[in-house]
Order: sequence, then C-alpha cells, then structure tokens
Amino acid sequence: MNDHDHPHNGLPEPVPPPETPVDAGSQALSEALRSSFAIVKFVMVLLVLVFLASGFFTVGPQERAIILRFGKPVGEGEKALLGPGLHWSFPYPIDENIKVSIAGLQHVGSTVGWYAVTPEQMLAGIEPPAGTTLNPIVDGYALTGDTNIIHTRATLTYRINDPIRYVFSFVNASNAVQSAQDNALLYVASRFKVDDILTRDIAGFQEAVRRRATQLVENQDLGVVVEQCVVQSSPPRQLKDAFANVLKAEVMRSKVLNEARSYENQITNKAGADAESLVNLAQSDRARLVRDMSAQAERFQEILPQYQDHPALFGQQRLTETLGRVLTNVQDKIFLAESPDGNRKELRLLLNREVPKPKTEDTKP
Amino acid sequence: MKRNPLTLIIGLLLIIVFALLLFVFQVRQSQVAVVTTFGNPTRPITKPGAYLKWPWPIQKVWWFDQRVQNFEDRLTEGLTRDSFNLLTSVYVGWKVSDPAAFFPRFAGSADPIAAAEALLDQWLGTAKTAVVGRHPLGDFLTTTDNGANFIAIENEILASIQSQLRTNNFGLEIEFLGIKRLQLPESVSQSVFERMTSERKVLADRFQYEGEAEAQRIRSDAERRAAEVLANAQGQATQIKGQGEAEAAKSLKVFQQNPELASFIFRLSALEGSLKERSVLIFDQHTPPFDLFRGVSTNLLNK
Repeated sequence: MNDHDHPHNGLPEPVPPPETPVDAGSQALSEALRSSFAIVKFVMVLLVLVFLASGFFTVGPQERAIILRFGKPVGEGEKALLGPGLHWSFPYPIDENIKVSIAGLQHVGSTVGWYAVTPEQMLAGIEPPAGTTLNPIVDGYALTGDTNIIHTRATLTYRINDPIRYVFSFVNASNAVQSAQDNALLYVASRFKVDDILTRDIAGFQEAVRRRATQLVENQDLGVVVEQCVVQSSPPRQLKDAFANVLKAEVMRSKVLNEARSYENQITNKAGADAESLVNLAQSDRARLVRDMSAQAERFQEILPQYQDHPALFGQQRLTETLGRVLTNVQDKIFLAESPDGNRKELRLLLNREVPKPKTEDTKP
Repeated sequence: MKRNPLTLIIGLLLIIVFALLLFVFQVRQSQVAVVTTFGNPTRPITKPGAYLKWPWPIQKVWWFDQRVQNFEDRLTEGLTRDSFNLLTSVYVGWKVSDPAAFFPRFAGSADPIAAAEALLDQWLGTAKTAVVGRHPLGDFLTTTDNGANFIAIENEILASIQSQLRTNNFGLEIEFLGIKRLQLPESVSQSVFERMTSERKVLADRFQYEGEAEAQRIRSDAERRAAEVLANAQGQATQIKGQGEAEAAKSLKVFQQNPELASFIFRLSALEGSLKERSVLIFDQHTPPFDLFRGVSTNLLNK
C-alpha cells in the first residue's frame, strides 16, 4: 500500500519543487520512501538475476542431462543429450533438466530360480535348512528339460545406451531387465538337461541364457546393452548327496580308466622292448654261429694237409696240447694212482664247492 | 516519469504470469493427460508440451504416467493337457495408451495404476489357465525342440490378453509379456525329488560299472596285444636262428673232406669249452698225459 502511495506522492514532487516548498517533515518522509523504493527495486533485480542464474547446472562425467521445455525434450535423439560440463536452461516451470546416470555398468540379479535366503544368511554364506519339499510361494527353482528341479540364478551386467528411452519410457527399466533375465533363465533351463546345466555344459547354458536375455532386452527396446551374464546353478539342497555321489562315481570312473590306460601303456611298451631284444639276440646269435662255423672251416682247411701228412702224431699233439691248456684252467686236480694190488681205489666226494676251511684242516692230520 | 512505464511493465508481466498459471498446463515427456470439462473427458493429450485450458472449475487436467509399467501376476495353478499341475506366473510390460478411455474406468480409484493391474491380474489368470490347458507338459519342458513351443505359449497368452483388451477398450496396451515363474505344486516337488534321487542312483551305478568294465577291457586288450607282440618276436627270432643255422651248414662240406679229423677237432674244442673254469678233474694213470705218472709211482714205491 505504501508502495502504491509513494508514486502518487512522488509524481508531483519533481515537477513543482521550487513553487511549492514543502515543510521539512514531509520532505524527510518522501526521502525515506524514495530510498526504500530503490531498495525494493534492487531486490527485485537481484531476484530476477537469481532466478535466471538458477538455470545453471553442471553435468558430471558419468551423467547426461536432458532439458524438458514445457515437458518436451529439447532436441531429437542423441542431440537431446547434454554431455559433462556447465549448462544453462530456463528455470522451472519453463524448462526442467533431468540428469541420467550412465555410470558404467549396472547390475541386476535374478533370483527367481533360487531358494529363499534371508539377507543375513546370504552375507554369512550359509544355506537355510532344507525341508523335504519346495514351497512354490517362497522357494524359487527352475524346471529342466528332463523334468528335474534345479536352482539357478544369474547376474546380468548391462550398460544404458539410450538414456532417453531408459528414463522416459519405463517406470523402472532395471526391473524390466530383471524380468527378461528371469524369463531367460527359465526358458533356457526348460531346454537343457540337468547334467548339462550342472556339470557337462555349464558354459553352454550360460551362453544360451545370455543370448536369450540379450534378445529379450532388444525386442522390448529397453535402451540397454547386455554386457555380461554370469549364471550359477546348483542341485536342490535336498538332493545334494545324491548329486555328489554321481560326481564321485564319475571321478572314480576316470581314475579307474586312467589306471587301466597306464597299465596298458606299461605292458605294451615292455612287450615291445622285449620283442625287440629277442629279435636282436637272435640276430647276433645268427651272426655268431655263421662266423664261428666259417672260422672253424677255414682253420680245418689249414690243418687238413698237416693231418694228412702225420695223422697219429698230429692227433697226439693236438690232444696233449689241449689237455695242457685245459688243465691249467682247472681249479682242482685230483690224481688217483693205481693201488699196488691192482684194485681200483674208492673215492668219496662231498659235492660242495665251498669246503669250509676248518674241516679240511681237521681231515688233513 | 521514469518509474511509470517500468511499473506498468512489471504489473503486466505479473498479470501474464498469473494468467498463464490459470490457462496453461504442461504434459511431460513421460505423461499422458486428459482434460475434463465439467467432469466429462473432452480432450486426450498423448504428446508432451504446453497446452491451453479453461481455468478451474470449468476444465480440469488429469495426468497419468505413460511409461511402461512392470507387472508380475499371481502364481496360478493350471492343468496341462496331459494332466500335470503347473504353477505359472508371467510378467507384463503395459502402459496407458489412450487416456480418454483409461480415465472413465480408473480415475475414480485412489491408485488408477494399481486398479488397472488388478484387472490385468484377473484377465491373465484366465488366459493362463486356458493356454496351459491346451499344451502338454512336453511343450514347456523338453530337450528336443529349439524353444519354439515355449515362445508359442507366451504368444498365446499375449494374444488372449490382447483380445480381451480390444473388446474392453480400457485404454491399456501390453508392450511385452513373458513367463516369469514355472513351478510345480509343493506336494509334487517331493515326488520329483524321489524320482531324481533314484535317477542319480542309477547314474552313479552306471558310472561305476561302466568304468570297471571299460578298465577291464583295456587291460585284457593290452595283455593280448603284448602277448601277440612277444609271440611274433619269438617266431621271428626262431626264424632268424634257423637262417643262421642254414647259413652255417654251408660250411659243413668243408669238414666233409675228413669227417674223422673234424669230429676230433670238435671234441677237442668241446672239451676245452666245458672245462673253462672252476672245475674239478679226477684222473687215473690211464689218462694221457698222466700215464706218465705210472712209471714214476712204481719207481717211488720200489724205493
């Protein structure tokens, strides 16, 4: 009200100042009003400036921003995205800036195929006790192609590649990614055999889940790209021992087979070596036999003329010479002279090569 | 003089802002809206931007989230064509596509989205029971097809719910649908466990016997081959020796010139060979050269 009064009072003021001198009191009042109006003006300008300055905003390195002017994005597609740095938009309600985190990689976990675990148990790494049945309301599991029950869970890592779609088209896009992941797990498990999922083809199962999740995410146009998918599977807790026994039997089988194979190697190698040495021995025998015979024949040829010259003498000479040579080699020589009465002497032999020394000494005297 | 136009401009601006607040409303990118005139929906708005309207109480604006909502329905039990109980639950991505049709049906409730989802849940339950009943369990669980049946089941549920949506024009639209849970009733899970246990047992036994039998086969096969190799070598060796003997026999005709001498020489060398070492020999005086002793001993005795 004062503000409104002031211009009315002030209007006539500058025009007729000299003609109508005002008393000191009202002059002081008008001075005060004028200065307070200046302050109001200053504050208003300041407010406008603050209002405009509030349109500045910064975008972080892992963020993109979108400006909505009257609710509609400014720019189309990629151009609508503002990169890191300082930006300005009209303040609300004309413009509105929305920041989207594209921070590296996002993760969602799918637990639709896992038994119920409380966060405390998860942290401690312990399993809840297993009942004899699985309650479908509480415990998740997947059914395999051969109608077995298994537990399987997955962590999907993805990157946002279309932030506009991710933010403006879905109430909760990460939830939708998780649903796609859940579906991929169930779908792929229902096409695999239990042994393939758990032991034989773990990588194949994981790859199939990743493919299906990627395909779903693309079909649903969630604005994300699947980077990685890690699947973990386990047999039902109730059947842990049964599954472990199969595994043990499988390990045992390969152990037994390995042993048999090493035995096979050993005995075939030995047979090969033995066979070779047999043949070699035969060959050397053959060579020796032939060589000996031909040497003897040669020698025979040489001595034949001498024999023909003096057959008896030659025979005598050979025999004596040979005996002499032989007798030097013989260890014990015992000569039995004929007794004077012409009877033969009787000789008793103890057939033991190593005669104990003291015995011989005893018998001597 | 100076302040007059300035205040005028400020005043005018204030009036314009005030009027805009009354006559203009915004629809954001993620929203749809419907304008009601005295309570009747008259103008649906599906594109974002700024729009004009008459101020309240003539016209009123209702905004709805237009983004895709995630909804997961209840786990419901259905009987497959071959009489297996199967519990299924699906996830649905749906959104408000026609605010004018959506408004009259759901705007009255406190939470229109939840009200719409309750309706969807009901329809999905019916659709699932019908579709599950048309398929045998083998369409859900199989190791032989490439997944075509599973996808066909999802598509059938989707088609059924979409025909429901078309007949009841409630302004909803389904973007995608997929099976999220596929389970067995609790009592069945136990019998599955029993079956799995016996399957495991069979498998473990098979591994064990298979391993033993295979190992046995490998061993005996190896032994057979080793014996074969040795026998072959033996044969070869005999053959080689025979060859050697035949070759050596060629020299025999040399000895043929004087068999008597040959036999004498052979005997001599046999004697020499047999007495090579550590032998004990007993003679009497008839053996040459010890016959020499005969004379000597008699001489000694005579002395």
